[in-house]
Amino acid sequence: MIALRNIYKWYQTGINRTFILKDIDLDIAEGDFVSLMGPSGSGKSTLLNIIGMLDEPSEGEYHFLGQPVYQLKERQRKELYKQHIGIVFQQYHLIDELTVYENIEAPLLYQGVKGSERKSMVADMLDRFNIVGKKDLFPNQLSGGQQQLVGVVRALIAKPKLILADEPTGNLNSAQGEEIMQLFKQLNKEEGVTILQATHSEKNAAWGDRTLHLLDGQLRA
Amino acid sequence: MIRTYIKIALRHLQKHTLYAGINLLGLAIGLSGCILIGLYIWHELSYDRFHEKAHRLVRVTWAYHFEDAENQTASTGTRVGPEFTRRFPEVEAYVRLLKYPRVLAVGDKMFEEKRFLYADSAFFGLFSFPLLEGNPATVLDAPEKLVITQSAAKKYFGSQHPIGRSITVGGTKEFMITGIAADAPANSQIQFDFVGSFTTLNAAREEKWSEANYLTFLQLHSPEAIGPLQAKIRAYSEQVGREELQLSGNNYMTYQLEPITEVHLYSPLDGFEPNSSITYIWVLAAVALLILLVACVNYTNLSTAQAAGRSAEIGMRKVMGASRRDIFFQFISEAFLLSLLAVAVALFLSFVLLPSFNQLAGRQLEQELLFQPLTLLLLLGLCAVVAMLAGAYPAMVLSGSKVIGILKKGFTFTGQAGLRKGLIVFQFVISIFLLIATAIILQQLSFIQNKALGYSKEHVLELPIDAKMSENYDALRDALENLPGVRSVAGAYEAPTHIGWSDGLTALESGKRISINAMPADEHLVKTLNLSLLAGEDFTQRDIQLADPALQGDNIQYTYMLNEAAVRALGWTPQQAIGKRVAKGREGIVRAVVQDFHFRSLHEPIGPLAIFMDKRLAGSFFVKIDGRDVPATLARLQGVWGARVAHRPFDYKFLDDSYTALYKAEQSIAGVFTTFATVAILLACLGLFALTAYAMVQRTKEIGIRKVLGATVADILALVSLDFIKLVLLAIAIAIPLAYGATSKWLEGFSYKIGLAWWVFGLAGLVTLLIAVLTVCLQALKTARANPVKNLRSE
Repeated sequence: MIALRNIYKWYQTGINRTFILKDIDLDIAEGDFVSLMGPSGSGKSTLLNIIGMLDEPSEGEYHFLGQPVYQLKERQRKELYKQHIGIVFQQYHLIDELTVYENIEAPLLYQGVKGSERKSMVADMLDRFNIVGKKDLFPNQLSGGQQQLVGVVRALIAKPKLILADEPTGNLNSAQGEEIMQLFKQLNKEEGVTILQATHSEKNAAWGDRTLHLLDGQLRA
Repeated sequence: MIRTYIKIALRHLQKHTLYAGINLLGLAIGLSGCILIGLYIWHELSYDRFHEKAHRLVRVTWAYHFEDAENQTASTGTRVGPEFTRRFPEVEAYVRLLKYPRVLAVGDKMFEEKRFLYADSAFFGLFSFPLLEGNPATVLDAPEKLVITQSAAKKYFGSQHPIGRSITVGGTKEFMITGIAADAPANSQIQFDFVGSFTTLNAAREEKWSEANYLTFLQLHSPEAIGPLQAKIRAYSEQVGREELQLSGNNYMTYQLEPITEVHLYSPLDGFEPNSSITYIWVLAAVALLILLVACVNYTNLSTAQAAGRSAEIGMRKVMGASRRDIFFQFISEAFLLSLLAVAVALFLSFVLLPSFNQLAGRQLEQELLFQPLTLLLLLGLCAVVAMLAGAYPAMVLSGSKVIGILKKGFTFTGQAGLRKGLIVFQFVISIFLLIATAIILQQLSFIQNKALGYSKEHVLELPIDAKMSENYDALRDALENLPGVRSVAGAYEAPTHIGWSDGLTALESGKRISINAMPADEHLVKTLNLSLLAGEDFTQRDIQLADPALQGDNIQYTYMLNEAAVRALGWTPQQAIGKRVAKGREGIVRAVVQDFHFRSLHEPIGPLAIFMDKRLAGSFFVKIDGRDVPATLARLQGVWGARVAHRPFDYKFLDDSYTALYKAEQSIAGVFTTFATVAILLACLGLFALTAYAMVQRTKEIGIRKVLGATVADILALVSLDFIKLVLLAIAIAIPLAYGATSKWLEGFSYKIGLAWWVFGLAGLVTLLIAVLTVCLQALKTARANPVKNLRSE
């Protein structure tokens, strides 16, 4: 599903290049649950952003579902991204002015899903994750764990093949973190959603099928 | 999708009530300024366009050059209309108009009517003043026929049917009412309550080129005829001047045509109603635009400042697949929504403020105009323009940002801060400019108001005299003068505020002839108006006998009083002038030289003037009263008037008021400027207030740390306000030269004017600076005084 070849990312500072990522080769197959570990500043987020098509490497190749991402037109890449990728953030990044319901609905708006269909899709999700009762609340009326749950639901609403999670439990207590991890595991097992999570914690990493270690921009097996 | 945008926009407004309120209020104030000025401009531009034949109606004006003096007037003799119609095939019809105040009476109802017109029978055919009753072709086709307006009919006849009834005009003639007209619309140069047939006038019996007291309008067969006709008229009037008026040498006369639709704004020549000027229209349009820009700037500034708070939302939307266009559209629709709300508020504000604005601008704009479909449609357009002006920049910045950057760090505002500063400077340049312009206009008006005119206009009443009263002139005058509280009473042809009678005067010894303004008066004028004589002496009883009407014909001699300008023009010193023989129609001697006084508006220099003794021509009494207990004196005057002048009401004017009326255009522009300068400053400060509030939120932590390090409240205020003070100072530096240029240009229109004093500019700058600092400090004080520990903890 994901094939990265010779990915470099650097910043030019004066005459020096500061490398964030160095020569990354990575393959992830559909249905994998991969954990990415590494200390702060090791390049986890950058790598995730590149895979999530929010950022571009300085050098290298990226194939997603067999398509050469950097040879696609902007619009095609956007389509690819919209259809197949969902992202979960450490800070949740819910829109404060929207209710739970509207936050979950928002990605569908940008994908041009019709009103009635949208309604049933959101209703399904609310039901499935037992948050029907919270649908009219605003993010600041929810606990951190509940907010992240909404974040995950929002990432799932468009039925993506890949979920990228950047420290999804970083702001949660351990019980809440556990729940989110369980949810990921369930999605991975029952629906075959590919999951790539970046994390600090060995415990969370253990939920994955395999763990990658990133240090100073390089992958260590 | 739109629904979501509106929803999120509304929630955003709810959440940030202060900023939203300032944005809304600012836009609404700016928009209502635009609406009011827009209505005013629309009204001015619409003058006399409602006539169906407007495009082929022209007014004839007269330009002549007699004896070194160039003259131009909107008035023409009685010959012009009929002769042009007979002679030139391009002319289809004519109307001559005379506006003349008359006393009208029906039974015991008696009023002095100022809007009484005499007009030729084509009046209702040329002009589109609809007749509710009567046949347009025949209502004025014979002497003593009268058309009255609906309101006038109500005033005199109540609910009774006025057609066929008679009304006494001027105490002698009975007019028959033949038609009822709708009230004349406010946007016409032709205003009337009564239209009597022109043939009633004695003057109508003989066609004359001279004695130009009438406005002449022509109906042409096509609009294109104006050019060729003008050429023919030029040639023809040259011939008339030579052959009929015996003009020679430099002297000439010519008639010119003005399209009726251009009279109000483009003609320098007033007819019966005062003209305005297209320059003022441009200035007002510019002011409206500036006000709107100032309001938009507030929006732009606040939106970019607030963008930081929305970075997470924008970033997330992009992550969810929103394109740049989606985000741009979202913010534009937000701006549109806000300006829609602002338009609604502005409509309400305009509705409430229109009566006061009318008073200020001296117009009668109707509130219904605000809610016409066309107005609303235009407002919707304006709304879109405002949304683009105010919202496009923030929308562009916000939608163009990179996802990763804003999600991680929020917006960084290096570039936008520069723009915001520029916009603040722009706002204050406009504010200071308007402030200075207002100050200078007010200064000039007060200069005019208080200028020593050479005569005393305070506590002087003007009372009209007509032919019937002239019979008992002396008895009436004496009775008025003998009242307690009355100092003296004089009779003269017209008020000294504006002497319009123009004439020629010849020095018999040298044969030199000059153009001159002239005014007949009685022997009490000098003391009543407090004129000062430089040489010679006041009119005496002997002069009265010389001009006694009983003498008849050529035996009547005039006694003259010349002003300095006239004496100078004739090449004399005041002393030399005394006893010289001069002629103006009739011969006579110069009895006195009077010090120059301003008998025209201060737009014009003082020209030559001859006052001559002839009380039969007096049109008004001027009653000088002492300033004590004016109401009692007025009551006594009214008592005498009622007893002696049964045929007309006691209707008086104060001379100061007539004088003030000369500067109506300036007064109204001053009023409009004062208002909008205030609005501009208010808006600019509103913007500053909000930006300070915002800066304070952002700098809470910095201020907390500084306080912990030992900074006092004053230090903090200085720190914060210094940024803004620099900007206002820059604005002052830019605005002063602009204002200097514009105001000195405006003052060029006055022959007598104030000098531009630097302190006015300095003061305007200082006042603005103070207001700005006060605004900033007021807002900053809260944060500056807060306990730093609290601020730091919440971070």
